[in-house]
Order: sequence, then C-alpha cells, then structure tokens
Amino acid sequence: MNLNINFNREWHDEFIKRMDDDGPWTKWELYNLALEAEKNLSIPDFLGLQAPGHLPQLTFLPHQLEVAKTVIEKMNGKAILADEVGLGKTIEAGLILKEYMIRGLAKKVLILVPASLVLQWTGELNSKFFIPAVAQKKSYVWEQCEVVVSSIDTAKRQPHRDIVLNQDYDIIVIDEAHKLKNKNTKNYEFVQHLKKKFCLLLTATPVQNRVEEIFNLVSLLKPGHLGNQENFDKDFRNDKHSLKNEEKLKQLVNKVMVRNRREETGLKWPKRFVKTIPITLSETERNLYSSISELKELPQFSRSKFSVLTLQREVCSSREACFMTLKNMLQKDPYSEHTIVPLMKKIEEVTQNSKAMKTLELVQSINDKVIIFTEYRATQLYLQWYLQQHGISSVPFRGGFKRSKKEYMTHLFKNHAQVLIATEAGGEGINLQFCQHIINYDLPWNPMRIEQRIGRIHRIGQKGDVHIYNFATENTIEERILNLLYNKINLFESVIGELDEILAKFELKNIETYISDIMLNSESEGEMKVKMDNLASLINLGGGIKKKGWEEHAAARDSSFS
Amino acid sequence: MQQHEIHHFLERYFEANECTVEARHPSYMKIQLTVELDKLLMNRPFYWHYLEKTGGVPNPLTLTLVTGQQTPPDGGGEFIHFGSPRLHQIFASTKKLGSFIRMYESITQHSGQNIALHPWLCVNMKTSYQCDRKKDRISSYGIHLITGRMVESFHEKLSKLPLTRKIPDFCYTLSPFIRPISGLKRIESLVEQEIKQDDHSWAEDAKARWREDEDLLDRFYEDEEEKPEYYHVEKEALRTQYEPIISVDIINGGLFYLSETALS
Repeated sequence: MNLNINFNREWHDEFIKRMDDDGPWTKWELYNLALEAEKNLSIPDFLGLQAPGHLPQLTFLPHQLEVAKTVIEKMNGKAILADEVGLGKTIEAGLILKEYMIRGLAKKVLILVPASLVLQWTGELNSKFFIPAVAQKKSYVWEQCEVVVSSIDTAKRQPHRDIVLNQDYDIIVIDEAHKLKNKNTKNYEFVQHLKKKFCLLLTATPVQNRVEEIFNLVSLLKPGHLGNQENFDKDFRNDKHSLKNEEKLKQLVNKVMVRNRREETGLKWPKRFVKTIPITLSETERNLYSSISELKELPQFSRSKFSVLTLQREVCSSREACFMTLKNMLQKDPYSEHTIVPLMKKIEEVTQNSKAMKTLELVQSINDKVIIFTEYRATQLYLQWYLQQHGISSVPFRGGFKRSKKEYMTHLFKNHAQVLIATEAGGEGINLQFCQHIINYDLPWNPMRIEQRIGRIHRIGQKGDVHIYNFATENTIEERILNLLYNKINLFESVIGELDEILAKFELKNIETYISDIMLNSESEGEMKVKMDNLASLINLGGGIKKKGWEEHAAARDSSFS
Repeated sequence: MQQHEIHHFLERYFEANECTVEARHPSYMKIQLTVELDKLLMNRPFYWHYLEKTGGVPNPLTLTLVTGQQTPPDGGGEFIHFGSPRLHQIFASTKKLGSFIRMYESITQHSGQNIALHPWLCVNMKTSYQCDRKKDRISSYGIHLITGRMVESFHEKLSKLPLTRKIPDFCYTLSPFIRPISGLKRIESLVEQEIKQDDHSWAEDAKARWREDEDLLDRFYEDEEEKPEYYHVEKEALRTQYEPIISVDIINGGLFYLSETALS
C-alpha cells in the first residue's frame, strides 16, 4: 500500500547546531522525563477506550462505555446519542470527547447546548472530565479557547456566526438536537454549514412526530446516509401517512444512532407511582365551563373551534388563564364583545379555584419537594400567589428565563423552597433529581412532553421512588383525554420511549392536532370514545411490534461486542 | 497515568531543573521556580522583557501543585491531573528541556590502559498512525557511527549502563566515520522500510470508510449542478476525518560514547 510517511526533521537541524556548538546538552534525568512524558501520551492501540483509565474518580455504567465504544469504533465518531431521558447522555458525550482528546484526534471542540445548560455542561466537563471547557461569553473566546460551550442561538448570530464558521473544529457536540428536525430553520442551516469532522447529536426524542424529522437529523450528521430527499421518499415513503421498507430504514438509522432504554440497561430504576386525582368543579366554575363549551355552537366560532378547545382547557387550569385568552380575543375582534363580556362576568363569579385548593392540600400532605407543571403562565403566577397566601414558598421556572436565572431558580428550589412551578418550556434541560414528586396540574396533549417532564426527576441520581400526580377535572376534556387515551396507553407507568417511534411509524404528523381533531369533530361522546380507543390500540399495537424489534436489535449489538 | 505517578514525575521534573521544593507532601508540592522554568511555564513574557530592559533583580514565582485530596494549609494551588493543561505544558516543556544529549559510559575499572569509547547516535521516536482512529508506537534506534551497525530498543539498553556527562578518566573517544546527519538518514530509511512492511489494513479500512461516506455525500447532492458550499465543507471534513497519515517525530536523542563491550 502506498502510504505517505511524514518525517518531521526539525530535530535534525537543531541537533547538528548543538554538535557544532558543543552543547548545550541536557541531563540524563531530563532526557528520560521527556521520553516518559511522550510514553504517557502515546496511544497503544486503535481500539479500546483510554479515557476511563484517566478518569478514575468516575464510575461509568456499562451501557455508557458501550455507547462510547460503538460511536468511536463502529460509527466513526458521527452519531446520534438517543438514550432515553436520564441514562446519562452527557456522560457518554463527555467520555467520547475525552477519548478523542486523549488520542490527539480532537483539540478544537464546539459544544452547542440550550442556554440554560451552558454552565452545567462547562462545569461538568471541567470537574468530571478535566476538559478545560469555557463558556462562551466574549467573542474572542471562539478563537482563543479550544473547548467552547455556547448556546446555538448565540453562535448562529453575528458577529459570532462568521467567526464560528471559520474555526476548524474537530468535534461538534449538540445537545437537545431534536430541535434541529426542521431543515428550514436558521439553526439547521447554521449547523449544516459547520465543518463536522466528528459530531455528536444528543436527543432523547429522536423522532418526535414525523419521519421526516429523522431524515433531516441524519442528513445533518451524515448527508446521504438515508439517500437524498427524492430517494428517501421513493425507498421508504409509502404515502403521506405510512412507511415502507421500514426494517431497512431502521437498520440504516441504527448505523448512526445509539439508543438505550431503561429496561435494557439492567439498572435498577426508581419506581414510578402514578395517581390520578379527580377534581370536582365548583358550581360557578362549572357554569363557566359550560358557557365556554357552548361557544362551539356559535357561528362566529365555527372557523376557530380550536380556540374554544383552548379556552376549555384553560378553564380547567385557572380562571386567570382563561381570562387572558378572552382578553386577547376581545382586543383582536372588538365585535365579539357581546359574546365575550358575559363570559368575563362568569369568570368574575368564580370565587375559588378547586384545582389550586387540591394542589395546596396535596403539597401540604406530601411535605417534601414538589414540582408543579402547568401549561399556562397565568396559572403559574396565580399558583405562586395562592401558595404564598398559605405560607408555602415557591419558585417559578420558565423556558424564557436566561441561563443564569434558570440555574439560580434551580438552586433556590433545591435549598430554599418547597415548590417549583414550571411552565412547559421549563421541562427541558434542567435536572431536578433531588425531587421525587411531580404534579401534572394540567396535561399537555403531546405525550412526549409528559415523558420529558417526568424525565427531569426520574433519572440516574434519583434515590427514591418517583410519585406522579395527574389532575383530572371531572366531566371536562381534561378528564377525557386522561381516561380515554393516556391511561389506556399506560403513558405514565410504562417507559414510553417507544412512543416516538410509534408515532413516526403511523406518520401521525402532529398528535396534538390529531387529538384536537377528535375532540372537536366528534358528534357524540360515543364517537369520541371510539376514536380515542382506536388511537390507543394503534399505539399499543405499534408499541408491541416495535419493542420486539428493538430488543432484537439490542441483542444483535450485544453479541457483536461480546 | 495515575495521580501518584504524576506526583512522582513532577518531583523529578522540578528537581532535575534545579528548583527548590519548599513544601513536600504526598498530596501537594510547593516549588520555587528558577528563572528558566518561570519563563517556560508562567507565561509572563512582558515581565521578563521589562526586567531585561531595566536590569532589575529577577523574582521568579513559586508554584503550588496539588495532586491528591489534601490541599496546602495556606490554600490555593493548582490541581494537576492527567488532563490538566499545566501537566501538558510540563510534558511539552520536557521536549524543550530534554531533547539533546551527549553522554559517556562511566568506566571506573581500568587496567592502566586507556579505553576507547565508540560513538553512537541514538534517537527515540514516536510513529503515529492516524485516520479517524489513532495509534502511536515509540521506538528507539542507535547507530554506530563507525561501523554503521544499527540497534533497536537502544534506549532500553542504554538505561542499563552507568552513564556520565563528562568523559571519564583514562578514556578517549573515537572519531565518527559516519556523519551524524547521515546516521539520521540511515535510521530514517530503516524506519521507513519497517513501516512499509507493517500491516496497513487499518489504512485500507479507513480509506474504504472514507470512500463509503463520500459516495453517500455525492449521492445526496447528485441532483444539484451547482454544489452548495457545505458540500465542499463536508467533503473536506471527511478528508480530515479519514485520511490515513503516518508521521514520525523524534522525541529526543543524542550522542553516546560507549565502550566496545557495552552492548554485548
């Protein structure tokens, strides 16, 4: 084989010069130290992991070591790390990064993470992995520091963008990579332009709702691995809603993606205890709910039935949430005054929030840290006030918070407050495993988001059992979705890692829209029930098939490593 | 490299560089640096420049390095571990400090007769095989600068001999027949031959992986006449990822004057 060998001859000239000058010559001890230093830095073998030996203070779980080996040796350093929430993807990424750095294959590293996680990543890489990562704060950091952690939103903006695209990165790590599923976004375009020698995409939800998303994600990592859009459609797309050659697609995806499931890791996981807590509306609340529901029949709402659904869900949450939406509707369309003002009057008549009362009662009886998830900001504010009235301190948490504020809030919750009240966006990117109780004050209609919520506390590091309380307002859409769908697919008890694949499989473009559709367009309670049943059995059936497929895959992977 | 090994290495390093160890503890050390090491390690060129201009009294810094759990009582100190920049800086400095040597076999017994010492040129080298994976091999060669005889694992053999920096009494050196630069060339061609005889399936495999990914990339953009910029970026990325490269670096080396029987 014709191979170029580069002889570095710098040493020669200097040696000759010293011969001519008769020195200076080093001491035997220093000479030996130089050789020893080099011996310590040299890599004895192409295969295997050096990093664990350098990190004696860290205990890696078997699946984490296997992921690192697979990514480096089978995937050539370009991979989607898609372990289920809480299995330690950050650790896996750090381990892989460390390995490449030790081998001298990576010097310049870029790590793009959600803003709220920049400091956490920086801290963990430094303290756990001895990787001198620097959080990007000033623009000179891009050029002068070798390992930089930044949010993608900062990196893609000028003046950073040009500087970043000019760097010769050896590894790029992107956390929460499912946000790159849409190729028409600025983030996608930005990552596409980055030079990716080695690249790790981290996500707990690789395919959220569409099969297109996995195509986009894989094409970002390894363009052409799934063909181009045209061949992909030809090879794998049956029609708008279904796939063909699915086995083949799965095999292809598995060449660039590692996905461990809790069950497969053989780890002992804390148990999940799920409890549905029924809420009975007070008379005035019931009145409000009924009046809102009647809006559906009005001609001016025939086009925007969805907003009725939103209002219904909001009434189940708090009158404040409902009021904000009504107020906005009124501002947009002053002519709707005659329908909206009476509803506002009904809101005024509501004197208590039955759900909040139940929350208070529950929080008091738990007498331990609790996270309350709500979908609405108005509810969040109200709850904070309400709990305060009863001597319970709480901290708010929102996706829009700055990185430092998120960390501060987490710190406050850990050390000073009993309750953290988070809106949906707070679900991602924070680790709260010191807390064991979650109240789903109201439920999102995308089941994947429930898993993300639970994943905040049901993860490695959680010492006790995890308790999940689901509030269901009786005789409302809330109770229906819980009973008709979520409970049927065991959303809360079982690990729903398969769910994302199932949804992709059936090309349920957007499960939220699908559920809304059932809710809105069913003529009767019976019809709704039948449709929901169908959806549930579809998911259950799909789950069964899928699960088997994954187990076989896992077994195959195991045997190749034995 | 474990923490205690690092600790031992650092102690030897600072002692070999004639620094004063001000505090010695299994878990940390406090070092009064010499001017030379301060310049090498502390990264303050302006201070030294200023001092040279003004002719002031040099005041090299002290350095506290922590390798274990316990920190010095006065606090502070840098924690040194295998991944720490400081250790790598120190490793790198050994290359500067310990690259070129000339030693003589230390001969104490003699029968009244003068002893001839033969010139040997020794180099320690690191050969790196790199693609998307990497492996290094460290080797050591010596060449007899009169006969041209070459010996592998030369450093190991040297390590068993008593060596001294000054030519011992009653010894004299034989003049080289082969110029050192020619000696280096001979070693180089020997190394090249040896590398060529190696098993290079690793490089072939890497090229196959490279080709595979490049084919995929080409197919992805096959319909586009004007390839977008990131096609070329990606293509270049694949080259840096997979291209097999062998590089040979000399770690250190020098002249060794040994008795005729030293290596037998």
